[in-house]
Amino acid sequence: MSTATTTHDQEAFNLKEWIFTTDHKRIGVMYLIGSMAAFAVAGMMALMMRLEQANIGAQFIETGTDYNEWLYFHGAAMILAFLIPGLTGFAANYFLPLMIGAADVAFPRINAFSIWLFYFAIVLALLSVVVPDTPDIMWTGYPPYAVTTEGNTSFYVFTVHLLGFSSILGAVNFLVTVIYMRAPGMGWNQLNIFVWTTLAAFVLQLVFIPVLAAAVTLLLFDKYLGTHFFDPAAGGDVLLYQNLFWFYSHPAVYVIFLPAVGILFEIIATMAKNQIFNYKVCVYGGIGGVVAIGGEVWIHHLYVTGMPDWLRIGMMISTLLISVPVGLIVMSLWGTLWRAAISYNVAMMYSVAMLYLIMVGGLTGIPLAMTSLTVHLSETSFIHAHFHFIMGLFSTYAVFAAVYYWFPKMTGRMADNGWARISFWLNFIGINVTFWPLFIIGPQGMPRRYWNYEMFPQFEAYHEVATVGAFLTAAGVAIMIINWITSAISGPKAPANPWNSRSLEWTHAPNPPGPGNFPEAVTVADDWTPYDYNK
Amino acid sequence: MSTEATHQIHDITHEHHIHEHHWETSWAPLVLVAGIFFLVPIGFSGHFVYENQLMTIIGAGLGVPLILAGVAKWVEEGMSHKNLVEGVSIVGLPIFIVSEIFIFLGLFASYWTMRLSAGINWPPEGTPEISTTIPLIMTVILVSSSFTMHNAEVKLDDGDNSGFNKWLIITILLGCVFLGFTVFEYNHLIHAGFVPGTNSYSSAFFSITGFHASHVFIGLGLFVAVLIPALKGKTNDSFVACASVYWHFVDVVWFFVVSQIYFW
Repeated sequence: MSTATTTHDQEAFNLKEWIFTTDHKRIGVMYLIGSMAAFAVAGMMALMMRLEQANIGAQFIETGTDYNEWLYFHGAAMILAFLIPGLTGFAANYFLPLMIGAADVAFPRINAFSIWLFYFAIVLALLSVVVPDTPDIMWTGYPPYAVTTEGNTSFYVFTVHLLGFSSILGAVNFLVTVIYMRAPGMGWNQLNIFVWTTLAAFVLQLVFIPVLAAAVTLLLFDKYLGTHFFDPAAGGDVLLYQNLFWFYSHPAVYVIFLPAVGILFEIIATMAKNQIFNYKVCVYGGIGGVVAIGGEVWIHHLYVTGMPDWLRIGMMISTLLISVPVGLIVMSLWGTLWRAAISYNVAMMYSVAMLYLIMVGGLTGIPLAMTSLTVHLSETSFIHAHFHFIMGLFSTYAVFAAVYYWFPKMTGRMADNGWARISFWLNFIGINVTFWPLFIIGPQGMPRRYWNYEMFPQFEAYHEVATVGAFLTAAGVAIMIINWITSAISGPKAPANPWNSRSLEWTHAPNPPGPGNFPEAVTVADDWTPYDYNK
Repeated sequence: MSTEATHQIHDITHEHHIHEHHWETSWAPLVLVAGIFFLVPIGFSGHFVYENQLMTIIGAGLGVPLILAGVAKWVEEGMSHKNLVEGVSIVGLPIFIVSEIFIFLGLFASYWTMRLSAGINWPPEGTPEISTTIPLIMTVILVSSSFTMHNAEVKLDDGDNSGFNKWLIITILLGCVFLGFTVFEYNHLIHAGFVPGTNSYSSAFFSITGFHASHVFIGLGLFVAVLIPALKGKTNDSFVACASVYWHFVDVVWFFVVSQIYFW
């Protein structure tokens, strides 16, 4: 194994081998680079919005449309070009085949096709910022505004198409990979939780993305071909778009949430040296339950847009019901930590922060599920803070934690150092300073998506604090990225299995794995699990 | 066996191993995506958003050759490379079809919403008489093409390559006739003043039949990609099976299009 390691370390960098690669690990790294680039640009948009909101009145904004454009890019890029590719692109690509003992994914060229769809979608998204008619339709693209605006709705639609196509092909690839390419002897109850959560996320992608693709296509037709799908004056239905859109975009939350939880399980089990508490309940009840109910809750995004009561109340019940499988997952998370000698390193610090985010984000979701309360909280900064905690930050931290946890695997070096800790604390304090003020002023009446709030002067101090928090976070993230780059180049050499994990990617593959992943074909015993620490 | 000899054997196997496992590459995926990018988002936006015909011409001019080159290279590689696990393509394609079904469901759901909320005011004002004979003829053609494709596969199983080519060409011709009828029908309706923007029915009519026709077109593209190497005597069973399953799927969807759009 050591021979293999040095061989690959000394391999000369060959650009052609990277650009035309069909190897799942290199594609994974390319997803990480692309999604972090999207994260950086979308993060800057967030900083601009926070700076603009820091004080009442125009700071540097020219027209309100500017704010809509920042919001468009921030939302669309963070969700579609950072979180989904970061989790189901980078993490799934790099680690899933290693975890099941496979040499690659089932269709390596389709995998390369997916990454390039993703990169060209990013190119289109960046083009949409430099054209004179930047889209200004948020990440949701609601008609009638998306149809009547001067902004370029077509670039938004095609960005969604390219990314959606990329994800659907990813889903086909990974479902076939897990079904057919597990190491000999590996049964379904011996899979890593991350494999299960990725599988679940891809099932959701496969079924729900096409509906979003249909929705934005009809939007494109309405705007540019003159059709009337969303035009009530000609027999269309304006709420139809919102239904189709959220039919995908609520499950998209689970597409992001589930792999993030999977990463959390891997790190927690390894650092606690415990097997997964309630493995089968977590997998079949928790993850399976989210997949089963996740598609029947989308109306809670439409509580205030006008829905018949039977639909609102039915979906309120299913929305509340989803806390049952999520609760099972959270129980397994905490149960895995029970009576463990936990090693705290940076990956684990991010994981503990994730436990906190899922708790606050999850509990603040309960009032939002109830129709009676949502009518008042919807469109306030409370909802803004809630989904940033549960979805934005929880999953962002999953990407960061994954990079730290698997850094030795990917680079053969360690990134776990003083700078990593400083950046973690800046980051963690920053997000709390940003979003707690928004949690507080939301119920008091602060609307979301307002660039100016001169009618609410009492909230100005909260906004100032939130803006300071955003810059603390940005400083933390900047330090973190610099630390990743310098550690990848000159960090201390990592031992073969620095966290003493039992999972196949650590026990059987060199750091970093070469072509074909495993020096010898992997087989597993009947009683093997990736978490058998108690033996 | 002496230690030295063991060491030597180890070295040989190791070298062999490294030789076997080099970094796999292919330029086909990148070129194909680049082609799609230039043809679809850039070409469409040039024509419909910026009304800049030069942009459309450049988009399509770059896009189409890139797509053809990418597909050609991909097919060539697919014919000669072996999958890591044999026989998974024929599992992957039906999984992909699941997502195709949901696109059609999204489109049909939009149509049903408009149709049901219109109540008795259907078809809406501005709709001319739409022939139901044409879709019936088209149904016969498409169903026949599924049978001719099945025949082609049977010939291939029997090792009769020229029989396979013959039936595949017949299938392709039937597909082209089907698209010809679509063009004829559209042309007729547009002359009668029925265009996508006419009313809610025309919106659904052109979107759904057009989307189905685009699938027929892709199916024909797959068949041509199967046919060109087949004429030189090269076939790949799982590629043929995938193209055929896709074609049958397109055929099945047509029943829903006909029953919902023309006969409801």
